[in-house]
Amino acid sequence: MTIYSFYIFDRHCECIYIKQWHQQDKFRPTSSAGPSGTDSPASLTGDGKRSSAGSTLLRSNDTNPSRPGGRLSVQDDAKLIFGVVFSLRNMVRKLSGPEDSFISYRTGAYKLHYYETPTNLKFVLLTDVKMNNLRVVLHQIYVNLYVEFVVKNPLSPVEHHGGEGVAVELFEMGLDGFIRTIQD
Amino acid sequence: MGILSILILNKAGGLIYQRDFNEGLKKLSSNDYLVLAGTFHGVHAITSRISPVPGSGGLEVMESEHFRMQCFQTLTGTKFLIFAQPHQPNIDVIVKRVYELYADYVMKNPFYQIEMPIRCEAFDRNLLAYIQPRQ
Repeated sequence: MTIYSFYIFDRHCECIYIKQWHQQDKFRPTSSAGPSGTDSPASLTGDGKRSSAGSTLLRSNDTNPSRPGGRLSVQDDAKLIFGVVFSLRNMVRKLSGPEDSFISYRTGAYKLHYYETPTNLKFVLLTDVKMNNLRVVLHQIYVNLYVEFVVKNPLSPVEHHGGEGVAVELFEMGLDGFIRTIQD
Repeated sequence: MGILSILILNKAGGLIYQRDFNEGLKKLSSNDYLVLAGTFHGVHAITSRISPVPGSGGLEVMESEHFRMQCFQTLTGTKFLIFAQPHQPNIDVIVKRVYELYADYVMKNPFYQIEMPIRCEAFDRNLLAYIQPRQ
């Protein structure tokens, strides 16, 4: 049971939060091409995971060397993921009406889980293929973490341009702890 | 229980066959089906790119609240999309059988032009005969 990454997109189609586990540390040592993300504000802790302060910053110069052909930054990855879930969601709605909703898809190597709130906030989780349906988990992240620590935070802005406001320590810690319980 | 719809896409993402077998999905105009096929072709390509682990293929199964879609891509790039109800068992077997029927009644039809829409009566008949008893 592995969880690879987690994304939040706001109603303006902007990625406001990215967190990745497991993939950077696995592929970084074998990376031969492109600048690595260590010169960005995001710091990597000893075991290769991003420190909580850095994980929400949307970087442009971070590479993901896991792909043979292209070197996509984390941000470009997020854009592609948004494109995929947006298209699939529209496809599902077109085929079976507006009350239906896209839940997940899987390929041979990973599975993507999707949850959309009524306010068009989109939560996306990438895991390995053996994972069961995690829509409930995404709903819990929304209700117990996002609403509690981001929405109810009096200092948090209403819109989160560039991810500001979601980068709260309590949200980070809660999310990390919660994902850890699922992985075990 | 049952199969809702089958779509076949050629390797360029063009829709070459569409048929509904059961109520459950909305009827779209033929233009909308073409758009859908093209969109899916792109999405399928992107899903293999955004994989967090190396060596992933494209989308295989998609689930929604009301249906489940299985995508099977042949070695030559033709895609078979099978829309079924969420808990339909053995879709893999059905996909393989549909591929066999395609090979037998479409590819072996001397009048069929490759990559063009499938208008083969024998394929229609045999596909229906295979899917109908399983509804």
